[in-house]
Amino acid sequence: MDALSALVEGFRVALTPINLLWALAGVTLGTIVGVLPGIGPALTVALLLPVTFSLPPIEAFIMFAGIYYGGMYGGSTTAILLNTPGESASVMTAVEGHLMARAGRGGAALATAAIGSFVAGTLATAALTFSAPVMANAALRFGPAEYFALTLLAFVAVSSALGDSTMKGLASLFFGLVLGLVGIDPLTGEARLSFGIPQLLDGIDVVIVAVGLFAVGESLFAASSIGLDPESVIPLRGSIWMTREDWSRSWRPWLRGTALGFPAGVLPAGGSEIPTFLSYALERRLARDPKGFGNGAIEGVAGPEAANNAAAAGTLVPLLTLGLPTSATAAIMLAAFQQYGLQPGPLLFTRDAELVWGLIASLYIGNVMLLVLNLPLVGVWVRLLAIPRPFLHAGILVLASVGAYSVNRSIFDIGLLYAIGGAGYLMRCWEIPLAPAVIGAILGPMAEQHLRRALAAAEGSWMIFLTRPISATVLLVAAGIALLPVVARRWSSAPRERRTQPSG
Amino acid sequence: MLCRWPALFVLLSALSSPSVAAQPLDAHLVIVAPAAPGGGWDQTARALQQVIERHGLARIVEVQNVPGAAGTIGLAQFVNAGGGNTRSLLITGLVMLGATLWNDSPVSIAQATPIARLTGEYEVIAVPAASPIGELHQLIDVFRRRPEAFAWGGGSAGGTDHILAGLIAEAAGVDPRRVNYVAFSGGGEAVAALLGGHVAAGISGYSEFAPHLQSGRLRAIAISSPSRPPGINVATIREGGLNVEMVNWRGVLGVSGLSNDDRARLTTLVSQAAHSPEWQKVLLEREWSDLYLDGAAFDDYLAAERTRVGRIVARLRGPARGAPIVAGQRLVPIAVLGGAAVVFGALVVTQARNRRRFPAPSSPVRNRGAVIAVALGLVMFLVLLQPLGFIAAASGLFVMTANAFATLRSRRQQLWTIAVAVVFIWLVHLAFTDGLNLPLPHGTWFDSPVLGSLTTGRAWTR
Repeated sequence: MDALSALVEGFRVALTPINLLWALAGVTLGTIVGVLPGIGPALTVALLLPVTFSLPPIEAFIMFAGIYYGGMYGGSTTAILLNTPGESASVMTAVEGHLMARAGRGGAALATAAIGSFVAGTLATAALTFSAPVMANAALRFGPAEYFALTLLAFVAVSSALGDSTMKGLASLFFGLVLGLVGIDPLTGEARLSFGIPQLLDGIDVVIVAVGLFAVGESLFAASSIGLDPESVIPLRGSIWMTREDWSRSWRPWLRGTALGFPAGVLPAGGSEIPTFLSYALERRLARDPKGFGNGAIEGVAGPEAANNAAAAGTLVPLLTLGLPTSATAAIMLAAFQQYGLQPGPLLFTRDAELVWGLIASLYIGNVMLLVLNLPLVGVWVRLLAIPRPFLHAGILVLASVGAYSVNRSIFDIGLLYAIGGAGYLMRCWEIPLAPAVIGAILGPMAEQHLRRALAAAEGSWMIFLTRPISATVLLVAAGIALLPVVARRWSSAPRERRTQPSG
Repeated sequence: MLCRWPALFVLLSALSSPSVAAQPLDAHLVIVAPAAPGGGWDQTARALQQVIERHGLARIVEVQNVPGAAGTIGLAQFVNAGGGNTRSLLITGLVMLGATLWNDSPVSIAQATPIARLTGEYEVIAVPAASPIGELHQLIDVFRRRPEAFAWGGGSAGGTDHILAGLIAEAAGVDPRRVNYVAFSGGGEAVAALLGGHVAAGISGYSEFAPHLQSGRLRAIAISSPSRPPGINVATIREGGLNVEMVNWRGVLGVSGLSNDDRARLTTLVSQAAHSPEWQKVLLEREWSDLYLDGAAFDDYLAAERTRVGRIVARLRGPARGAPIVAGQRLVPIAVLGGAAVVFGALVVTQARNRRRFPAPSSPVRNRGAVIAVALGLVMFLVLLQPLGFIAAASGLFVMTANAFATLRSRRQQLWTIAVAVVFIWLVHLAFTDGLNLPLPHGTWFDSPVLGSLTTGRAWTR
């Protein structure tokens, strides 16, 4: 009840006209930068920090929160319409979302992403309101062993996203894992697969892998079918809005995505990608018609989009309660707090109650604004697909290139983007799925670091993964998911091409 | 058809140039923090950013995080890919120095241009509140009994934290190579692991532990300063009976081969920031000691530190060549490369077998020409971006891609395509440079003396 009255007080602070204006400015800006590949909310907030210094802290934070949520939402638009995920958390959205867009259901995909983001953002903010300190302390129980178990679970879960051919899916996954190996090993400082190229020492940015495989590969593949293939993209078919069936297929994935995303965001080393993988895999398993996956299933958009927005809210939990920034944006928010002489941590809630609760209230408001802003825009965005293909692909290639450049401001990265794009083109020609490669590039390095830290802390004993209860539980779930199809196959006579458990 | 491109490029380049030179030199300063967000370098970078911006010493100061391998990844990128950006600073420090030596890194701090030493911070050894350890001698007892079973958590391998763990081991009479050190890639992650009790003891800078020491969730065991710093009531390592002290200094470097003028300009900027009351306030808040040093004195200090740390790292590694093997170090690379070889091999074999069994029923025909045309456009963009600048190169890419995709080409459509390209590229350029303050290449071609006279003709486009 205490939190509730504080929240009411927070709304009183946030609901002044000027603060509403800042929230609107934030979500608008956030949506725009989210749409640009390579430019994320972290960079935007960093660029705005000096501008906002003259503002009172509450106004600045309300705008930053809007940018953060807006950026998470904006990334899904290009993922769905142009198959160009602007950030790694939107990769899973691109998989089914773009298939929907090609089938003329882009409007529904964007709508389920917008509403799912709203639902997830609001529920996760509510969880943040009422359980932040408890959640943050629970998250600290996760150590390297638990994180490794979690990455293993994600590997097992996404094996269902490998596509029709296990062999091709594995080839794609291993391609991503090899890309993930490149660079200096952070635990020993040894260079791997960098072939003496200094620009490769810092590894290959996942954004470049995703944009290269999806956007550049897609454009090259589209070029290869000019004059051979009748127009394969249908800009719009049927209603632009979600049908009754869409709603009934979407609401459960939204809730499940939120349930996966929020705790993952709270974990100090959880990341926002893992819950999107888990959500995609979960929805695929639970779907009434699993064959819909791979042909544009709305569940595959609703779940991961909800998951990445809930994770974004989750990230604020360790930031506000412990002062631990667990994402780039959170780190910049921390800097912003410090700019105003505030120290996030256990004492923030008591010392600067008005600011904290005003900020939390503005998260709710920002979510509503995003929905109000983006639902009408769905109709506008969908028109992107009506752009003549020569201009559409030319535009995609230019934006992808400038996005890759802006990550590290390096021309080498553009070359890397094109090389990976070439690989993506070949993969498309050979019908090898793209998503597993991105998943491998994200999860591989994570899994390795957590594994080695856990082993080091346990003097090299592998039993650590089984003797720690959380880790053992997660591994048990992973084993269950891995073995389920095998058991199911025994039972049903129809053989199913779905093997799991790539070793990573 | 192709012969018209050069003319187009010159036209577009001329259009692109007006926006180039207008910015003052220090409009956009980049501070590279070679660590994950939340760590000490990141905090230094962001504090410096705030002070520089507040003083209007630069219009926009952007902090870039390039985490990993104790800053050597950041250093490598700064030295190699920094692209001679004379308006960028790299946060450096003892940790980076240690790491370059630890890794036998191909890049060295000596390749960058020293600008200034800014601050120093003492290292604290801390344990979770629930730990039975209360004082340094107790910690040493536990550690000595079985060094391998005592997990130390801290920043990257070979960094200050790691070096301090090694020095403590050595002073306690334990072979430094037996230290079980768990490296995390950022202060935030290491603190979280210590708070959760996943390591027995943590080593980090005082500021990173401070909020948790104050809230009572962590307990400080010892500090690495020569005597107790004012305001910090923690026993020194010396008081605990070990002859060890260390200061984790931090400073800033410029790109390699910086001209004397550029170096002086950066030094002035940093010096003004470091002598401002705001910076002094930051030092007080973060409990960093002011160790400002620049010019030749900093050159000498850096050289002396290189010698000293080189000696320490060699001792940490022991007489035998090579870093100690970290558990599982080879496991993942072998599994990944081996697995990849098996999977790729199997894929090739099955594809070949399938092809033999079902001899290409509908091997899809592809429009190779269009793919090659698009690929040529990409290569052209890559090659011309630096010399011709973003607007010209991107317009070329746009037009070439659009032409590859267009099946019918009339002169009118050509002109229409070029018009769309120019407008679109202008908008993108505007959004990135003016909207987001992210500079895009403006074309080095125009900087050359030969073209200098030609580009004076730019004025008419304004």
